[in-house]
Amino acid sequence: MTEVMMNGKLPPPVRRSDGVIVPFSKDLIVKSLLKETQLVKELYNERPLTEDEARMIADEVQDEILGMRLKMLSGPLIREIVNVKLLEHGFAKQRNVYTRVGMPLYEVYKIDNSDGYESRENANLQPNPETFHKKKADFLSKESYLLMIPSHIADAHLRGDIHLHDLEYWGTRPFCQDWDLRYFFHYGLMPDGTGTHTSVAGPAKHAEVAILHAAKVLGAAQTNFAGGQGFFNFTVFMAPYLMGFDSKKLHQTAQMFLYEMTQLYVARGGQPVFSSIQIESGVPKVWQDAPVVSHGKKWPDLRYGDLEDTVHAFAVALLEEYLKGDAMGKMFNFPKPEVVQRARYWDDKAFEDVMLRAAELSAKFGSTYYDNMIPAYRGGEDGVSCFQCCAYSFSEDGKSENFQKKVMFEDGAHFSMGGMQVVTVNLPRVAYKSGGDEARLIEVLKSTMDIAKEALMLKKAVIKRQFERGLIPFASQRPRGAPPAVDIDNLSLTIGFVGMNELVQHMTGYEIHEHPSAQKLALKVLIEMDKIRKSYSEETGEKFSIARTPAESAAQRFAVADLIHYPKFARELVKGDLEKGLSLLNDTKDIPVYYSNGAHVNVAAQLPLDQRLSIEQRFFPILKGGDIFHVWLGEANPDPEALMKLNMRLAKQSWVGYWSHTKDITVCRDCGFVGGGLSSNCPTCGSSSVKNYSRITGYYQDISSWNAAKRQELKDRYRVRLS
Amino acid sequence: MSAGSGKQGVGSGGRGKDKDAAGCGGNEEAAYAPEIMHLSLCDYPGEPAIVIFFSGCNYRCGYCQNWKIREQDRSHLTRIDRIERLLEGGRMVTACKVTGGEPLLQLGALMRIAKKAKSLGYRFGIDTNGTFPERLRAVLPMLDLVSIDVKTALNDLEYRKVTGVDNPMVDRVVESIRIALASAAFVDLRMVVIPGVNDSPEVVRSIGRDLSRMGYGEKASAGGASFTLVEFVPENAGSMEYASMRSPSVVELVTLAKAAGLSNVRVSHRALGYCVSIEKIQL
Repeated sequence: MTEVMMNGKLPPPVRRSDGVIVPFSKDLIVKSLLKETQLVKELYNERPLTEDEARMIADEVQDEILGMRLKMLSGPLIREIVNVKLLEHGFAKQRNVYTRVGMPLYEVYKIDNSDGYESRENANLQPNPETFHKKKADFLSKESYLLMIPSHIADAHLRGDIHLHDLEYWGTRPFCQDWDLRYFFHYGLMPDGTGTHTSVAGPAKHAEVAILHAAKVLGAAQTNFAGGQGFFNFTVFMAPYLMGFDSKKLHQTAQMFLYEMTQLYVARGGQPVFSSIQIESGVPKVWQDAPVVSHGKKWPDLRYGDLEDTVHAFAVALLEEYLKGDAMGKMFNFPKPEVVQRARYWDDKAFEDVMLRAAELSAKFGSTYYDNMIPAYRGGEDGVSCFQCCAYSFSEDGKSENFQKKVMFEDGAHFSMGGMQVVTVNLPRVAYKSGGDEARLIEVLKSTMDIAKEALMLKKAVIKRQFERGLIPFASQRPRGAPPAVDIDNLSLTIGFVGMNELVQHMTGYEIHEHPSAQKLALKVLIEMDKIRKSYSEETGEKFSIARTPAESAAQRFAVADLIHYPKFARELVKGDLEKGLSLLNDTKDIPVYYSNGAHVNVAAQLPLDQRLSIEQRFFPILKGGDIFHVWLGEANPDPEALMKLNMRLAKQSWVGYWSHTKDITVCRDCGFVGGGLSSNCPTCGSSSVKNYSRITGYYQDISSWNAAKRQELKDRYRVRLS
Repeated sequence: MSAGSGKQGVGSGGRGKDKDAAGCGGNEEAAYAPEIMHLSLCDYPGEPAIVIFFSGCNYRCGYCQNWKIREQDRSHLTRIDRIERLLEGGRMVTACKVTGGEPLLQLGALMRIAKKAKSLGYRFGIDTNGTFPERLRAVLPMLDLVSIDVKTALNDLEYRKVTGVDNPMVDRVVESIRIALASAAFVDLRMVVIPGVNDSPEVVRSIGRDLSRMGYGEKASAGGASFTLVEFVPENAGSMEYASMRSPSVVELVTLAKAAGLSNVRVSHRALGYCVSIEKIQL
């Protein structure tokens, strides 16, 4: 190590972040520059620094430090000075990889006090020690991924042209997955995916164990995925363990699952697993003749069709347990019950009990989601399809390769449906950039989607590499030589969008619900988006899809970004409380303004439900990647039978593939009251210690944890009944 | 049947009229109907419904949640053909209900809407306070549902306390209940339970006795009638006095419901989530 004297002076010693104090060394700067700027090649395919360049930078850094007359140096400080020199010499990419990531100490302090950085970005995160840790890790991850991905993509995200969802998991986790329970009932359970850090369980032989395995599958899966975890065909695949159970035992088993899923409070920074289960009332056509897989084997003489009575009874038991709620009488907000709608379930009176329980659950807690297989575009009778998470949809049609092998569980072949990543496009911005010209609009749309596509392809490459190296071990597990649990190439690359309503408002002067010309343009834009999507799929062989984004934070972030970059236009169009938002904008980005989700009608539009339906249902067949139709219930005590009849109409007479009824709920923490409406005091005991719950985008959560925009949207919602 | 009775409409609004001359109030071109709900899931038992609010009422109940439309105002006038068009377009609903206010104040308009609704295959019902038995008789053949308020014990003394008028005409309310129970329509007798006002077991017991005498039991056991206790919601009350009162708990409602000694009794409370038969509630 060479210590350099200059003008007879030595730079002060360096307090390094690894906890030692060492003399200043220029060589160490050179060495680290040569080593770390190698990443420039790997990440951006550009050249690292040469040794001469590194020495020149190190010399200048030393001069700079000597000029500063410091008593003590730190590693981070030297690094910052190096970064300045790199930028001065035009080595921007090299600076990107050489820089530190982290956050101001003040922010860290605030996070530990449940304030500050994204304290309301995800309403499912409750303040607790795990959450605070996650927030810090999230910040560091997001910042680093923004530096690692190509700068034009990062800039597009930061500017608000697009939104890269779950950025904190960009390099480590795929998005979401709907699991095939048969896999675990055949091969058993290794929560860590390798069996080295956890015990390895053989296949479940008893109902209770099957339930616990199912819950642990989703818990383990959540450690590998950024988004929701679910089971499609849940009631059907569980049935072999429940044969011969009386009603009491079925209820007990159902209750056990609901508690497991809402009390496994361990996922991603201390939250329950974001989970869903698909509830079939009977056995779908595709599964009627498929062999039962359970207890570690494929049964030669037992078909799922033989278990229909059990499937039916279990569906009823599950819904009745949801209806009871927890010990406080509070709803189970997870796993989201996705009640499948098929013509058979409506035409055969035998299934009316399930349909009525589902409606009762909507009337009481609003918790039911309706997964409608009846519209032809779902392909629900001949294929396998599910909605999950925040209403993303995945499917395999009966003609797809190996479909029959998967149905028959041949050599462990099974279904693996899910999402790799969602990138959302800011549609109002596309309109602003088009200058009001429709042809130009499509061009800007295409170029914005091109960036989204590039980001998605990049994500796919990153995750596939991680997967192949065994770094997403629960997903890539291959127990006893089985095919991998997750088919990584089958995950959808989803392009979402926010603000179709505001796009058409900018172009036509009308909101979607105000004029046929606005609806026509919305449809046209969607069709264009779908054409572009198709061209991406053909070009790359990947599964691209278009979806309405839940946009829990993106609907706000885009609106805020446009108030900054396109104030003249955005002020006209953003929804919510603009005046209040603008007054807060200098201090916080958490302000009560938003764009409409997906192609939804403005939530505040005073539009009868059937008129909103006739507009929004037309978008469903195009949005195969997912959409949701919201019924905002304003009434405290909806009549379940009336609601069931409304459901029947939605199922059989509309194109809506997925809907829910949202009932606002007040829970009193003193007397335990749980009931409809948003009250600030308990209607029964008067206590002010109440929590208000409602549906945020696609799930129920405590309103106090919502961001300002979503709380504003809640206020603005036009409900079926205003009281 | 009673197309003729509709023609007697005089269009004078019938504000606070205590005469029960059939056809009084409203006319056939327009109705005092300030609000129309395109889809309600809680106003018509078992059916998603279009609900039409008629304004004007001859009672002054302090708990009323629709107090804003107690008085008729010219701004409330809505053309009946507009309502008819609306009924023609209602794809998501199976029933139509007229509530208020007091719908029977505008019999002519009510009859026209009823006729249209029936011709479109809707189930049709009304809410009424029961003070116009003859008008009820006139419209009854077209009704699938009659929902009659039972404010409290069926005597003038108790009724005065709740309805805020000197002459609540309980004899007419009793007559309306009798007529309704004898008809083919489903009859829901609804009582809003207000703690400290009408929530004593004696009140409910006396209602139970009176309803039994009027033939409630037979009709209820045939599935044609129900007695429903409804939670009073102070937040929606019109008068300051009532707004400061408390709402009853589920336990109080169910206890009272049992005191009525009737069959097919239901309670409606926010904490239950929806209207439930008391046999189904485990406390």
